[in-house]
Order: sequence, then structure tokens, then C-alpha cells
Amino acid sequence: MAEIRLKNVTKRWGDFVGVQKFDLDIADKEFLVLLGPSGCGKTTTMRMIAGLEDITDGEIWLGDRMVNKLEPKDRDISMVFQSYGLYPNMTVYENIRFPLKVRKVPKDQHDERVMKAAEMVELKDFLDRRPAALSGGQRQRVALARAIVREPTAFLMDEPLSNLDAKLRVSTRAQIKNLHHTLKTTTIYVTHDQIEAMTLADRVVVMNKGVVQQVGTPTDIYDKPANTFVAGFIGSPAMNLVDGELRDGVFEAGKVRVTGLPTTHNGKVTLGFRAEDATIVPEGGELSAPVYSMELLGDASMISFRVGGELVSIKAAKDYRAEIDEQVHAAIPAEICHLFDSKTGARLGA
Amino acid sequence: MPHKTFLAFILPAVIAMLLFIALPIVSVIVQSLYVEHEQVLEEVENCGPFGCTTEVRVDAEATAALKSADPLGRFNGLGTFFNRSHLAVSEIGVILADNDGLGDIAARIYNLPFYKALLFTLSYTFIVTPLGMILGFLIALSVNSVSQVLKGPVIFFSLLPMIITPLIGSLILFWMINSQGILGSALQALFNDPTLSLKASTPLTWLTLFVYGVWTAAPFSFVVFYAGLQTVPGDTLESAMIDGASRWERVRYVIIPHLGPLATFVALVQLMDNFRVFEPIVGFSAEANATSLSWLVFNDLQGESTQLFGSAAATSLLTIAGVIVLLSPVLVRTWREFSNKA
Amino acid sequence: MSGTSMIARRRSRTLATVSTLFLITWLIVAAFPFLWTVWGSFKVESDFFSRESWLNALFGVYTEMQTGAPFTGDGYYGAWITRDFWRAVVNTAIVTLCVTVISLTIGTLGGYALARSGHRYAFWILIAALVFRAMPHITLVSGYLLPFFELNIWGHLATSIVVLVAINQPFTLWMLHSFFLSIPKDLDESAMVDGCTRFQAFRWVVIPVMWPGVITTGLFSFLLAYNDFAVTAMLLSQDNQTMVPKISSFLGSIQEQGNVMFAVAAVVSATAPLFLLVMFFQRQIVSGLTAGAVKG
Ligand SMILES: Nc1ncnc2c1ncn2[C@@H]1O[C@H](COP(=O)(O)OP(=O)(O)OP(=O)(O)O)[C@@H](O)[C@H]1O
Ligand SMILES: [Mg+2]
Repeated sequence: MAEIRLKNVTKRWGDFVGVQKFDLDIADKEFLVLLGPSGCGKTTTMRMIAGLEDITDGEIWLGDRMVNKLEPKDRDISMVFQSYGLYPNMTVYENIRFPLKVRKVPKDQHDERVMKAAEMVELKDFLDRRPAALSGGQRQRVALARAIVREPTAFLMDEPLSNLDAKLRVSTRAQIKNLHHTLKTTTIYVTHDQIEAMTLADRVVVMNKGVVQQVGTPTDIYDKPANTFVAGFIGSPAMNLVDGELRDGVFEAGKVRVTGLPTTHNGKVTLGFRAEDATIVPEGGELSAPVYSMELLGDASMISFRVGGELVSIKAAKDYRAEIDEQVHAAIPAEICHLFDSKTGARLGA
Repeated sequence: MPHKTFLAFILPAVIAMLLFIALPIVSVIVQSLYVEHEQVLEEVENCGPFGCTTEVRVDAEATAALKSADPLGRFNGLGTFFNRSHLAVSEIGVILADNDGLGDIAARIYNLPFYKALLFTLSYTFIVTPLGMILGFLIALSVNSVSQVLKGPVIFFSLLPMIITPLIGSLILFWMINSQGILGSALQALFNDPTLSLKASTPLTWLTLFVYGVWTAAPFSFVVFYAGLQTVPGDTLESAMIDGASRWERVRYVIIPHLGPLATFVALVQLMDNFRVFEPIVGFSAEANATSLSWLVFNDLQGESTQLFGSAAATSLLTIAGVIVLLSPVLVRTWREFSNKA
Repeated sequence: MSGTSMIARRRSRTLATVSTLFLITWLIVAAFPFLWTVWGSFKVESDFFSRESWLNALFGVYTEMQTGAPFTGDGYYGAWITRDFWRAVVNTAIVTLCVTVISLTIGTLGGYALARSGHRYAFWILIAALVFRAMPHITLVSGYLLPFFELNIWGHLATSIVVLVAINQPFTLWMLHSFFLSIPKDLDESAMVDGCTRFQAFRWVVIPVMWPGVITTGLFSFLLAYNDFAVTAMLLSQDNQTMVPKISSFLGSIQEQGNVMFAVAAVVSATAPLFLLVMFFQRQIVSGLTAGAVKG
């Protein structure tokens, strides 16, 4: 019983809108990831759920309780902070036990539960150290252990991996995924790293400037971005976006001309396609332009062109080579194209 | 933090400040509008062998009764502010109307107790503050280049003049400059003048008090500047060296700008502290030649039986006005920053 | 090339010499008065205030003549026993201890609230505190006296304690506020999510990390109460006097009786605790002075 419901939750500081009408049902046992660029309101949303930030407008429900007015301690959720928030004066053991102690869990259970949590995150060898004597990854795991020790109704994690190096990030990510599988606790996870979002999430919420842009499974988000923001934010590299004219199923923008688009829409549109979906062809193709630059990625070569004001990238085989300014052709078939309204940025068609 | 929690946490401190800082200021305002009761006089007939004389005497009992019935005294409006012991408006009018030139005006105004105290207080504030800061800065520069082991002891001795109780510090110096003390007799020997006494003349007394002021004020500037020196960006300093800056240019263009904000802070604190100069005047028994605003208040309150509450309150208010003027640049700046942000 | 570096080196050596000389001079100026007075407090008056030669104070010619030894504790005996200075010492101990403890208790609570509240009124309270901090203490005293007489609370130690606590608050609040700002907000927030109320988070998580700041602020509260003259001189009755007003009252009465050495001994006695304080807490004092500077 731990679905979380946000009903038009809004946060304003004076005139500044931190989060605008956030409306979402999060299912029990779901792993939800909040994704968005820096300053888009992810942390604020999470802090409102935790009760650390007042809500300007709207309602938050945990299970069947409306928690707007509840203190953080009465909400029965646990949170992993970006900077971990470990208690420097306590040992690892005491840190993990702290939630049990303040919540008056019977003393005889403490040891067992702390040990169990410590074991899950592989911390057993460090129990009597102080946080100052731990590495970043170990601190991170103490924070995790402290969150899971009391078996709350939900976990909130705010960029828990952002202070770790790349390698550690991969292994801890796997650990978090595994923990969620074992504990089956509803989890809200904040990140601005899309790989994390894609690998961990049941569903992803993409936010920008305090407004939810799209909610969906990682595949949805990747394959059917709801608007140009999501299209331009998700994927590496992000989707190519070209402004142009659409008339009778034919898109035209200088060096790009795509025919046979399955739409009845006419007028100004933005055409999107992913670098890996397009291919370099010796002749013809929908795009024909001089090469602007070529980068070797190891597993592929990335060719880019200037189209209008934008850079358009296309992935080619790893042994493909082209000179700068050499005229090259690329195939951008209608099936791989996404169309967006130029004005609103919203997706056109399915 | 919700308003309720905030209030619960801050309440004790705010109540303490309201009751014992804000309310006393109100009390000072009220008291300044009143003046002591006039003494109740009675006529007594004294009959002796040479007949009877009538004599006017103070009826102590009736005076005391009046005082206890109405301890504030009688209402005097703003009278106290303008009387001879304070702003002395009419005296100044007379002086301005009839005088022998500027020198005479200055001398006669200086003889009015309030202006005398004001002049000393301002001179003390604006001479001791910069000198103390410069001395502190120089000490900080020298300590910075001393070897690591010596720093501890050097800082220890440098802190002493600051943490010493002001009254005690001034007494210690006072005893030394006493004509029978070591410094006093050394000066007499130096100037070959056995009657030389720092207490005797006004300029020398002022000088002594200024020296004392710089002595106690310098350590604070020293500590703050010293701490600031530890955070001077090493990269900038080194690139200045590579760019060919001399030692003085490095101080001028790297170190001093870096310490700028600290200097503002030190100046503010020191202005506030020096403006209330008081203990050294008591310690040096300097009241004949130098008085300060705080000392005037103290003097009015100190009388054993006749404490001049009204007069003390008026001086206090004028002092507070001085403090506000002193702080006004900071307050105005804060206000501007704040309303810009909002 | 080598010529210029020689010049540079010579110049920097001159500079080093000048700066060392300057520092030595300053140290003498800073420390000598104390050493001299401590030394002199063990002499008789005709040595310490010698009409003949300052060397007498060094060698104690008259001290030897009058007491038979080059050092004498007469001044201390006179001050502590004959003139009841011990009583002032006890009073000072009570006053400073109470002021420090109470100031810190209400100051940490308030400073914490100010550091954690993002609301505007927190800012205005800090500005008001700054203005209050600037009030000369004697002007406040002139506000207290008459009401205290009327309420019949003049003269008691408790009254002075409360007043000193209040006068101390603006400074305490500022200093603790800046110390609390340096403690990450995440700490108390994780505690609250873990199940603490705001107060429990403050008590069990923040305060244990805050000890250095609390100790430093405590030192300054102590110094304020210990060094105060304006409040204690005006608000305490003769019996309840603390050391500083007691010393000042010595001056009035003793100087005439020719026993100025009582006052010298009392001054040295009152200075000794400050010496120890700086010796043991030098680092905290320095960090306290700079905490205000960096943040405030
Ligand atoms: N107390 C506050 N007062 C005013 N504005 C605030 C406050 N806290 C946050 N904001 C603003 O709200 C916006 C959202 O902040 P938030 O911390 O939620 O961003 P975020 O998505 O977590 O970013 P990041 O990825 O950098 O952590 C930011 O523009 C921030 O400046
Ligand atoms: Mg964030």
C-alpha cells in the first residue's frame, strides 16, 4: 500500500515558479525516475514529497493519507541526499541505526536490522568507522543502508550517484536496481543522467522549467518523444531537429527533402530523426550537403552537416571516412522521422 | 522552516532583546522628557541670642516623598535636550552672536560639556579606528612571514591587549605612565623635565588615550587580516610574480583588494566599539581633560543621592542617534540590496 | 642577471630585518605592561611607584627593607582577605558562568532558527541585532536604572545576569548564525526524514557537530561578561560587586590610604584567568573573530 499521488502540486517562491502543477500517480512498487536539466525542479518535487518544503498548491497523497500538513518524520519515507547527509559524529553502525533509534523501534531488533541492511550494501567491514574515514562510494552505501534499514513505504533518492566516479557509478547503479528488486519498495529517483534513467526506471518523468514534459516508459520516451524538448534532451547524441515546410507529405528545408510522410498536416514543422537511424549512401538520399566535421567514436564515425542554423549528425560505419567539405549523401526515410509543431513543439501524429 | 517552529526557536532570544535592549531604549526616551523634582524648600526661623533669622532650607523629607510618589520627576518636554549640559542651544546662540572670531567660538563651544565629550568621542573613534587597522595589518604581514613554530607564541602575546578587561588594561598602562611609574619617569628622563606628567595637559591626555586605544584595537584587526592572508589565492600571487610584480605591487594589487571586504567588516566593528569609549577615561582618571558621551551618562548616573536620570537619558538618546548615523551607510546599503533582490 | 637577483635578495633581507624588528617591538608593547605589572604586584608601593629609580621596582629595594624579602604577597593578602576581594571573585564566577550558559542556550536555538529559515523576517531580525549590537551599554543602563529601582530588582546578581545575557544576544546570534550556516542543511533534513522533530534533529544531529562553534561563541560570551564594567558597576549593590567594579571602587578608597598595591594585586588576579583562557583557547578565539568576518 504505497502508491504516491501528486495532485496539481505547485511550488512558488514569490513570482518564481519552481514546480508547476505536477500531476501524477505513482504505483506501488514502481521505480520512477525524475529526469531533467539542472534547475528544472526535480529536487524541489522530491523535497515536497518528503515534507521538507511547503507546498504552495495541490495535494500529496501517500497511500490513503493526505500528507500536505504532515511533518517529514510522520510520512514514513526515507531519503538519500545528494551529499549523503551522514552524521559525522556517529560511526557507520550508529548512522544506520539512527532511524530505528529515533522511531523507537524495540532495541532488540536494532542489531539484526542494521546488520541486514549493511550486508545488502556490502558494508559489514566498516561498521565502526566514522564517515570521514570512508571513500565516496562507501559513504554512498551508508546512506543507502540508512534508508533501507527501516523498511519505509517509499524511497526518495536525489542524484545519489552524482558524486561517484564513472566506474563506481555503474556498479552502484546495478546495486540499486538489485535492491529495488529485492525490497520492492516504491522509489522515486532523481537524476539528470539519462543512462541512469533508462537503465533503472519503470517510468520516466521528463521535466523542464518546473513543468512535466512527458511521462512514460524509457522506450516510450526514446521512441516517441512528446515534444521537441524531450526529443532534444533524450539520447546521445540528441535527436537531430530541422525546421522546415511540410506540404502534402513532403518536408523541405534547404538541403533536406523527405517525401512520403504519413501526415495530412501542412505548414511550418520541425522534423526530427536520430543519428543512428539515418544512413550514409553513395548517391541520392534525402540529404545532400558538404561535411562540416567528422568524429571517430570507436564503434562508429559521426558525420555532421550544417543545415540551416543547426548541426545535423549522422552515424556511419566505424571504418567510414570522409573529408571535410566533401559532398555526401544520406538517407532519411520517412519511417524514422518524427514531426513536431514548430510553434508549440508538440508531437504531430502518433 | 515553518513560522511556528521558527518562533519557538527564536522566542527566548527575541524576548531577551526586546525586554532588555528595545524596552530600555523606550525607557530612555521617556526618561529624557522628565527632569528631577525641584527640591522642596521650607522657611525655618532660627532664634539665637542675637534675635531671629529666617533661613531657607531643603525639606529633605518632603523632597523624598515627592520623589517616591513620582519617581520620573516632572515633565520637561524637550527642555533637557536643549539645556546647557546637552545641546546648549541658547548658549551657542549667545556665542555665535557675540564672539572674537572663530578661535573664540571653538574654544567656548568646547567648554560646553556635551560638545567637549562629543569632540573627544569622535576624535577617538576616527583616529583610533584607522590607526589600529593599519597597525593590525602591519602586524599581520610580519607575523605571516615568521616561521611556523613562532606563530603560536606571537599570536598569544598579540591577543593579550584585546582580551584584557578595558578598565584593567587602562589601569595597567595608567600605573606605568604615572610620574612614578616606569614609563612616566622614563619620559621625564628623556625630555629632561621632572615635572612632565601625561595627566596634566589636555593634548597629552588625549594622546595617551589614543595610544591606549590603538594598543587594544590593533589585535582584532591583526587576527582578522591574518586569517584573510591565509586565504589569499596563491595562484594569483604567483602569476603576479611571474608577471614581474614587485613585493609592494603584489601587496597593493593582490593582497589589499583581497582583504577589502574584511577591512570593511573590521572598520564597522571597530567604529561601533570605539564610539562607546568609556572605561579608559575611568581607568586613566582622565575626566578633567577628556570626557566621552558614554562617560557623561555614567557620570550623571553615578551621583550617590542625586542621580540625574533625565540628563543621562537625554545624553543616551543623543549617543544612540550618533550610533545610528555611524551605522547608516551599512543600513542604507543593506536596505538597497534587499529591495533590489525583492 | 645575478646582479639583479643579488639586489633583490639584499632588499628582501632588509625587509625581513625591518619586519622582524617591527614584530619584536610590537610584542614588547603588547606583552611588557602585563609582565611588568605581574612582577610589580609582588613589591611594595615605594618600589613599584618608585620616586628614585625604576630599578627599585626590578630589585625590590624597599620591599626587602620593609618585608625582609625581595618579593611580598602583601598586596594580595590585603586585596583578597582584608578587602574581601574573594567575594568579588565568587560573584564574577557566578555571573560569568550563568551568562555564558544562558547565552549559549538561547543563542544556539535562535542562531539555528535564523540560519535555517529562508523567510524575510529572519533577515530583519539579524539587522536589528546588528543595530542593537552597536548600542553603547551605558545608554541601555540608563534605561534600566529607574525601572529596576521601582521594581526593586536593582542590585541583585540575577538582574545583572539577565541583562548581560540580553546585551550579549545580538553578538551571540550573529556568530552562531554564521557557524550554523557552515553546517550543511542536508544533515538536519536527513534526521527529520529519519524520524526526528526539528528540535530532535537540532539536539541530536546538529549540536554534536556544532561544538567547536558553540565553544568559540561561549568564550566570547564569557569575555563579555567578565570584562563588563558599565552594567556591573551600575546595577550591582556593594555586596554583590564583581571584580571589575570592585577594582574600580578600590581606586576611590585605597589610593588615599596608600594601598594602591591592593588594586595592583587585584588587577593581576583578575588578569590571570584571561591569560589562561588565551593560552588554552587561542585557536577558538582566532576562529571566532574570523567567523564573523568571513560570513558577516
Ligand atoms: N529556497 C528557494 N528559493 C527560491 N528559489 C529556489 C529555492 N530553492 C530552489 N529554488 C529554485 O528552484 C528551481 C528548481 O530547483 P531544484 O533544486 O528543484 O532543481 P533541480 O532540478 O534539483 O536541479 P539540479 O539538477 O541542479 O539539482 C531552481 O531554479 C532554483 O534556483
Ligand atoms: Mg537537485
